[in-house]
Amino acid sequence: MANVKIENVVKRYSNVQVMHGVDVDIEDGEFVVLVGPSGCGKSTLLRMLAGLEEISDGTISIGGRVVNDVIPKDRDIAMVFQSYALYPHKTVFDNIGFPLKMAKQPDSVIKEKVTKAAEVLDLDHLLDRYPKQLSGGQRQRVAMGRAIVRDPQVFLFDEPLSNLDAKLRVTMRVEIKELHQRLGTTIVYVTHDQIEAMTMADKIVVMRDGRVEQIGSPLDLYDHPKNVFVAGFIGSPSMNFVHGTIAVKDGKKVFLSDHGLELPVPENNARTNQAVTYGIRPEHIQVGDQGVPMKVVVVEPTGSETQVFAKSGPELIDALVKDRISAKPGSELCYMIDPANVHLFDRETEQRI
Amino acid sequence: MRSNKLGWILLAPTLLILFFFGVLPFVYVVFVSFHQWNPFAASPEMIFNGADNFRRIVFDSAFLNSLGVTVAFVLFAVISEVIIGYMLAQAFMREFPGKAFFRTIHTLPLIMAPIIVGSVWKLMTTPSIGIIPHYLDKWFGISMNIGTSAPAAFFTIVVMDIWHWTPLVTLTLIAALVSLPRDPFEQAQIDGANKRQIFWHITLPMIAPALIATVFIRLMDALRTVDEVWMLTGGGPGSSTRFLGVHIFKEVFPKTNYGYGSTISVIVLYLTIVVCWLLYVSMLAPRNNRKG
Repeated sequence: MANVKIENVVKRYSNVQVMHGVDVDIEDGEFVVLVGPSGCGKSTLLRMLAGLEEISDGTISIGGRVVNDVIPKDRDIAMVFQSYALYPHKTVFDNIGFPLKMAKQPDSVIKEKVTKAAEVLDLDHLLDRYPKQLSGGQRQRVAMGRAIVRDPQVFLFDEPLSNLDAKLRVTMRVEIKELHQRLGTTIVYVTHDQIEAMTMADKIVVMRDGRVEQIGSPLDLYDHPKNVFVAGFIGSPSMNFVHGTIAVKDGKKVFLSDHGLELPVPENNARTNQAVTYGIRPEHIQVGDQGVPMKVVVVEPTGSETQVFAKSGPELIDALVKDRISAKPGSELCYMIDPANVHLFDRETEQRI
Repeated sequence: MRSNKLGWILLAPTLLILFFFGVLPFVYVVFVSFHQWNPFAASPEMIFNGADNFRRIVFDSAFLNSLGVTVAFVLFAVISEVIIGYMLAQAFMREFPGKAFFRTIHTLPLIMAPIIVGSVWKLMTTPSIGIIPHYLDKWFGISMNIGTSAPAAFFTIVVMDIWHWTPLVTLTLIAALVSLPRDPFEQAQIDGANKRQIFWHITLPMIAPALIATVFIRLMDALRTVDEVWMLTGGGPGSSTRFLGVHIFKEVFPKTNYGYGSTISVIVLYLTIVVCWLLYVSMLAPRNNRKG
C-alpha cells in the first residue's frame, strides 16, 4: 500500500501539449476515480502512472519514491485494461500466475496464490480454460486475479467495466468495491461513466482537456460543483442550466432568464445585473400544483421514478419525480424550487458564485 | 438444394483444372513409380516391376547422399531465414528514416525467378570475374572457388537461398506482428517480464500460427529446390550440392529413367508430408488438444 503524488505533470506529443500541469494527491488506501469525457487525458494520466507513457514534465511518486524514470515492472503496480489484455495462448491459471512466474516465485507458491485468488474471484472451476472460452465477466475477473496475486502497492483500472453489459457492470462494480474494502490497497480507477465514479470513489478527480477541473468526494462534487462543467458532468440526469441575470424584485434578489422566466435565488455574492448561469438538478425541482406553471413535453416513466421534460415559458426544464404521475404531454403542471438547491455560476468564467 | 447445385457448378472449373493438372499427374507419377520405364531407350515399354524401385532406393548411395545434403541445406537455410526474417520484421516495426524505401528494396529478391537468381549468383561467385571471390581474397585473403570446394559451393547456395527467400519470411511476420493487440504486451511489461521473457512468453506464442505456416512454405520450397542450384553449381563439385530436386532432374532427364525418377519423387513427397506433419503435431497440436 502506498500513497501516490502527481505533481504538475505535463504531457507533450512532439509539439502538442495534451496535459497541462496536473496535481493530484492520493492517500494510502484511497479509491480514486479519474473521470471525464473522452479525450480529457484521464487514460493518459493512468498510463503515465503505470509507466507506459513518458512524463514530459513534473513528477509522479508512488510511496514517496519518484518513479518518473522507473520502468513499469519496478513500480510495484498492477493494471487492469479495458480489453482485459489476457494472454490468449495461456490458460486462466497461467494468466493469473504470469506475474508470479516472472518474479521467479517457486511453483508451489504460484499454485497457492493463484488458487487463492481464483477462490476469491470465483474462478476456481475455470483455471484450465483459455480466455476465448470465457464470458466477458469471467475474463474481467481473470484480469483482476492477475492484478491481485501480485499484491501491489497500487491498482490501476482503465475503464475495466465498459465492455460489460449493464447488469454485469453493476455486479462487478460491487465486486471491485468489496475487493477494495477487503484488501485496502490504493486504487486509481479511470472511467467516463459518472455513475461508476459516484458509487465507487472515495475521491473523484474530474478532468477536462488535460486539466483537473475539481477534486473532491462524490457528494462534495454533487453539492458544490466548482464550475458549470463539473455541475453538468456529475449527477444523472444532468443539471438544468438557464442563462440570465440577477435582478431585484420587491427588494429581493431574483433570477431573470434571458427569456423572462423568473426563479428564486439563494443569498450569496451574486451582484445585481450580473450575467449568470442558473443551475438546478432535476431531482431538486418539486413538481406539484403550486408554483411556476410548465407545460409537459415528454414523460419518461422508469418505474421507480419519472422524468418529466416540460416547457416553462420558453425554457426546457428536466424534472425528476419520485412518484408516478399521470401527466400527459401537453398537460399543465407547476413546480417550485428551493433556493438552497440552486447553483449559480458566472456566465463569463463559468465558475461558481 | 438449388444453391448447393450452383455451388458445384461454380466450383467445377477449379475442380477440373485441379483434377487434370494436380490429381491426375500425381496418380500417374505414383503409377509410373512401380514400373521400369525408359521411353527413350532401346526398349521403351513400361514394365511393371512391383516395389523394385522402392527397394533400390534404400540402398542407392547417390540418393541417400542427396537426402543428407538436402536435409543439411534445409536446416541451415530455413533456420537462418526464420531468425533473420524475424529480426528484419521487428526492425521494420519501428520507425526510421527511409523505412518505406528499405522495405521495398528488401523485397526485390522475391520477385526474381530462381533461374535468374542462380545465374546472377554464378556471375558473382565465378573465380577471377566474380565480385564475391575478389573481395574475399582482397580483404580477408580467403580464396573461394565453388567449382572445386564442396563447403564453398554448399554454403554459397545456403546464402543465396537466404538472400532470395528471407523477405518472404519478413513479410509474413510483419503481417503477423502488425495484427497483434498492443495491450497484452503492455500488460506483460507491468507483470514484470523483460524483453527476452516477453519474446518467449508472449510474442512467439502469439505469432506461432503465422510462423509455422511460413516455415511450412519455406520447408516445402527448400526441399524441392532445383533451378538456382542447377544454374549455380549443377549439383557439384562431385555430388556435394546434388540436392534431391537436382538428383531427380538428373535421373529423369539426362538418364531418361522415368520409372526410378518417379519413385524418388514419391518418396520425397512422402518425406515432406511426414516432416510437416511432425512439425505441426509438435508445435500446434498440443495447444489445440488442451483447448478441447
